[in-house]
Parts: sequence; C-alpha cells; structure tokens
Amino acid sequence: MSQLICLVIFLFLFRHTDYTGNDTIPYAVNILFRLDPLVLATITLAQKTFVTLLWPSFIIIGLTLFFGRCFCSWICPLGTLIDGSGYFIKSGKSNFSLPYLKYIILIIVLISSGFGVQLLGFVDPFSLLVRGMVFSIDPIINYLVSLVFDSVYKMGPAALSDYTEPIYEWLKIFVLPFKQSFFYLSFLSFFLLVFIFIMELFGKRFWCKNLCPLGGLLALISRISVFKRLPIRSCKNCELCETKCRMDAFDKDHKFEFEECNLCMDCLEFCPDQITSFKFAIQKNNTQINMNRRQMISAGLIGLALPVLSRTNAISKTADDDLIRPPGALDETLFLASCVRCGECMKVCINNALQPLFFEKSLEGMFTPKLVPRLGYCEFNCTLCTQVCPTGALSRLNVEQKHAFVIGKAYFDTNKCLVYAQKKSCIVCEEHCPTHDKAIGFNEIKTRDIQGNLLVLKQPYVKEELCIGCGICEHICPVQGSSAIRVVGKDNKVPSIQYKSGYE
Amino acid sequence: MTPPVFNITPELFGSPLIKSVIKPDILVAKGDDYTSMLTQVVESLGGMKAFVKKGDKVVVKPNIGWDRSVEQGANTHPVVVTQIAKLCLDAGASKVSVFDRTCNEERRCYNNSGIRPALKKIKDKRLRIEYIDDRKFVSVNIKNGKTLNEWSFYKDALKADCYINVPVAKHHSLSRLSIGLKNVMGVIGGRRGNIHFKIGAKLADLNTVIKPDLTIVDATRVIVRNGPQGGNLNDVKRFDTIVGCVDPVAADAYATTLFDLEPNQIKSTVEAYKRGLGQMDLTKCNIRHLKS
Repeated sequence: MSQLICLVIFLFLFRHTDYTGNDTIPYAVNILFRLDPLVLATITLAQKTFVTLLWPSFIIIGLTLFFGRCFCSWICPLGTLIDGSGYFIKSGKSNFSLPYLKYIILIIVLISSGFGVQLLGFVDPFSLLVRGMVFSIDPIINYLVSLVFDSVYKMGPAALSDYTEPIYEWLKIFVLPFKQSFFYLSFLSFFLLVFIFIMELFGKRFWCKNLCPLGGLLALISRISVFKRLPIRSCKNCELCETKCRMDAFDKDHKFEFEECNLCMDCLEFCPDQITSFKFAIQKNNTQINMNRRQMISAGLIGLALPVLSRTNAISKTADDDLIRPPGALDETLFLASCVRCGECMKVCINNALQPLFFEKSLEGMFTPKLVPRLGYCEFNCTLCTQVCPTGALSRLNVEQKHAFVIGKAYFDTNKCLVYAQKKSCIVCEEHCPTHDKAIGFNEIKTRDIQGNLLVLKQPYVKEELCIGCGICEHICPVQGSSAIRVVGKDNKVPSIQYKSGYE
Repeated sequence: MTPPVFNITPELFGSPLIKSVIKPDILVAKGDDYTSMLTQVVESLGGMKAFVKKGDKVVVKPNIGWDRSVEQGANTHPVVVTQIAKLCLDAGASKVSVFDRTCNEERRCYNNSGIRPALKKIKDKRLRIEYIDDRKFVSVNIKNGKTLNEWSFYKDALKADCYINVPVAKHHSLSRLSIGLKNVMGVIGGRRGNIHFKIGAKLADLNTVIKPDLTIVDATRVIVRNGPQGGNLNDVKRFDTIVGCVDPVAADAYATTLFDLEPNQIKSTVEAYKRGLGQMDLTKCNIRHLKS
C-alpha cells in the first residue's frame, strides 16, 4: 500500500517537473534525491561540505535506524516497479547470488568521490530510474500516444477525430508532457534502466539485493536497527520463508541476515505455523556482512585508481569551451563533484535545450547537462533548472540573478552570416537578444551587394560585456546547418596542480 | 438634400478599385480607460455585429510573441484582447479563438503577457485561448505573391469567418515598426527567420492570404527603441491610443504617424499598398478622433 502511494507521488512529481504557469515550481519535485542517504554521503565526500539541501535524507537514515531497510520495500519507487515487473518477468530460481557486489560498488563510489571523481550517477538507483524515464520512457510514451491520435487526426475521418481530439486534449493536460521532448543518449539510458528489469530473470529483486549501492548503505545502517524479524533462523523442517524470500536474506547456515531483509513482510503470510513476527528487539547480529576483507580492499583500491585515471586523461588538458553549462552551475570541478546526473534539470528545461553529455568529458562528465543552442535556447526569464537541482550543483537563482548569470558568450561567424557573407538584410539575432541592454547591436553600413548595387545594411555585432550566452541567437539564426552566431561556454579550466607559493 | 450614405462593410473592401474610391474610416481614441475606448472605436465602426455574424467562428489575433510583462509593451495589452473577445461573444460568435505563434516559449508568453490569465477570467466555453498546434499548418499557394509563392499558414486563421487583427504597435529593429501587417507572422509556419530578407515585400505577400476584417492597433504603451522585444522600461512610452480600421494598410499607416514617421517609410505598408491591400495615403482616409 505505502509502496503504491509512494509510486504515485513519485509519478506525480515527475509529471510536475515542468513549467506550470508559475515561475517557481510549487512542489519539491527533487525530493527523491534529497531523501537518498547515498547522495548525501557521496556529495558530502565529494564536496567536503555539508549541502543543506540534502537534509531530508536524515529522515531515511532515522527510519532505517528504527526499522531497518524498510525504505527498499516501502518507499523506493524503483523497488516498487521491480516488484510490479514480476507480473511480466518470471524470475527463475536463483542459485546466483552476489550480495557482496553492492558493498563493493558502494565503497568504490564513496572512495572515488572522496578523491575527486564522483560517479554516483552510474549506480544510484534514482539516477538510473529518473534518467531512464526522462530520456527515454517519457518521450517514448508521448510519442506513441501522439502517433495514435495524430494518425486519426491526419488520416481518419473528421467525425472520428471529433471524438478522439478531446481525449487527446485531456491526456495532454493531465497525463502527457506538454511537448514531445528529444534527448541524446535515449538508447543508453533506456537500456541501462531496462537492464535492471531484465536482471529479474536471475531472481527476484536481483538489482536490490546484489547491486544497489543505496541498498548496501542502508543495509549497513540497518545492522543497528531495532525493529527485526524473528526467529533468527529458518525452521529446520520447513524453510519456506527461506526459499520464498525475495531478498535471499538467509545465509548458507539458514541464519537470517537482518541487513538483507527489506521488511516486505511476505513471510508473515506464508509461515504455516505463524511463527514469524516483526518486533522491536535488541538483537545481536547473528551473521557477518556479506563481504570479506579482500573484496573490501580491492574495492578501495579501485576507488583510489579512478581519480588518478581521470587526472591522466587527455581530456583534462583540452579546452571544453563548447560546453555550456546551465545557469547557476558551480565551477566545473565542484559541479562535477555535485551533479548526480539525475536528469531533473534536463526534464524541466522548458525549451528541451539541456542535453546530456556523452564522452565529451570522459566518464566523469557523462549524463551531465549542457546547453545545445541549436536544439533550444536558455529562456531568459526561466529559472526552473536551478530550482530542481537536488544537490545545488546548479545553485538556485532568482530572476534578477539569472539575468546576470553568464553561461557563455556569443560570437559571429562572418563567413556564414547573411549580412557579412551575402550582403542580405537579416538581424534576427538582434531582435531575439533578450538582455535589457541589448547584447547584440548593429551598425548601418553602406556596401555593395553581390550584383554590385549600393545598399545600406544593418550589420550586427556582439557586445561581449552584455552577453550572457543564452543562445537564442544561435537557435534562431536562419542560416542552414550550424549557426552563423555561436555561443561558447566559459573557460572552465582550472590548473590541475596549484602551487601555493610558487618559486620564491 | 441629404449627402449620399456609403454603407461600409468589410465585404466592400475586396477590390482595390473600391478602396481608391471610398475613404476608409480610421477611428482614433485616446485616454486611459482602454475598455471604453475600445468599445467606442468598435461602435463607431458600426458595432461588432457589423463584423461578427451570429454563429461565426472568430479569430482574435493579438501579438503574444514574447515572454514580457504588460508594462514592457512587447505584446498586445490584455485589456484590449479581452474586451474584443467579449464584444465578439456578445455579437453571437459561436467560437472565439485567441492564439499566436510565439517567439519565446509559448506557455511563458501566454501567461506573462497577461493575456491568458485575463481571458481565463471570462467564463465562456465559446472563448478559447489556444496554443499553436503544429499539425494545423497547411501549405498555401500565394497567388498574388511577388517574392513568396508558397508558405504554410495556420488553418484556423485561414478558415475563420471573421479575423480580427489586434497588433501592438512597437519599434522593430529591422522593419522599423511592427504593427498590423507584421502581426501576420504569428499565423505562419516554417522558419520565420527567412522572412527577414526583403521583409517588407514578403510581409505584403503574406498579407494577401490573411485579410483581417478588422484591425485594432494597440498603441497604449509602446516600445520606441530596441523593439520588437524591448525589455527595458526606459524604452517604453505611453501613447494611450487605440486605432481601429477595417483597412489593414490604413491602420498601419495611421499608427506609423504616432511614431513621428511617414507611412511611406515603412516598407511593408508601401508594398501592401502597391498590392492593393488598402490605402496608405492618409489624406484619402477619414480620420476620426473620438472624444472620451
């Protein structure tokens, strides 16, 4: 029941991660990430500061201290969806269990974050879920639904579309997104998410018990929780609870592992003698954590190696000036440390202008947002992306701050610009430039057109000090192919090694 | 002896010949009560019933191009739009649609221009404020086009029984002014940036397809510099004027004089006049200033 409610809340918030006629979003649409203790742990290690936005995760930590890993079966929307997928994917009997993997992933992520490479976005369950939905599921659903209604509208008889159009309109208001969205990496995000469900073939909740690092973290916390399932081992002649447990929460000696139990409480129902119970009890852990020392040390070493690999990557030496980060973005190093690749900013972007990076900045930058002006520009008065960022990687801006926040600078390609190259009149860029003191001006010049006739032309130029890099000029430029006015991002390069005093 | 009475109806304006014979009425109201000014203007043109017949599907086409507030003057004043919509409803229209193809994101433009919230207050199912539906753009052969032969237009605008153009008058960096003829940009599809080369002639061509039955120019607060988008309140002046005319060219021509410019300085006006779309010579118009 609580599962369903949480899923509905999650889907509701997902749909409302959008412009609703208000400059501010009335709901905490990013709450899922702010509840996530793994995000808290990783970001705190990566930033070396406490991010106050993440305070709600203490609620989950508190809950876990009392009730154990109940989050996984009572709240987690991914868990709910995985449970729900059981209707379609029949799990085989699993002999194949790797519970230590989740701890290894956890350690790698935490250590590597502490030393400067934060890769949480690849393994955090909500990053995977929300991203998959934003980049693939949501656009797919909208595309298919629209396809049906559009076909009826375009090819069906008018009498039929008179019936279907009101339905479509209703769906658009309540269920579908306002506009079809388009994303790079739609394939990758889709398969990453679907893979989680495919793994169900190897056993129920395969992701949760073997891979989920959040589950691992909560498992560690739950070892000192006080609400526990009893008895502490399966009965010798029955073992029904052991064989049916979706979390495989029993070790080889039939001992019950508290930290693996997600409190789904199914065993209450199928215990023939009604022996099982869930009680508040101070109970010593009767099993070891599912990870040995060797595994732990290897994980730690991998975690240490990743940051070194990143620093010796040639990408760290090349300029990334075609990378335009969203408004409010922290300095690049801090930004990469803070961004959890949840995709919320790209979901909320009103012009579908924010897109995920692929390998432009190697693994470290994958799925982080960048502005692609030719697809969409940054709307001058809009601050939505800065409102939904759960970790403050995009710091919240009000409209005045946003108007002053520089994300890039525009420059003309005079070889392409109609005015410069073809002596045609066109100052569409100047018209659209939104800054209150226009960042694009023009001179009236006397020149000759291609036929040699004298004419007066308005020749545009960029006032660099006024340009904030919103990219509407690049977006709207009527030139074919790449725009004749382009925006470059700020130079984010920070010297990788900084000597405090230098030679003295 | 009674002077001959010309019963001026929109249908009469079909041919350039008739236009050159009769003098179009240009109604000008000044003041700060825009609602009553507007009602007066429409009354003096013969009342809304002269334009909207019972059961007509009416399109009211304001300028909602930009994500700008009412004071910034980039969009038609919401009071003007709502009053026209009300008059249309009162005249017995079966449907009144209000829409514009915006430059900024449409939801932001509709809301922040104040037009959507104002129209939402009128509880009448016949009144619709609609976002542009891309499926409704249809390709049109521009028969009288000189620079454009084909362009896509919004179906609802083409099919309207009565089309009321409600532009805002403002400065425009490329075409100098943006008034009624330029407002047609909001009902066309395609890459509108391509219109900007030879914009005057192209606008005139587009206006041979969309012929408004009535043009109401909103010159209440006007961007005098850095148009068409403005943003800086120092660039906005109060003209407190509303102009109404059945002749789209004459409406533009008169509104041009508010900016201390001559009608022949605006290329789209000149080109439209040449194509016989209306009168630009103000001496041949009947300019009537309404007393408020």
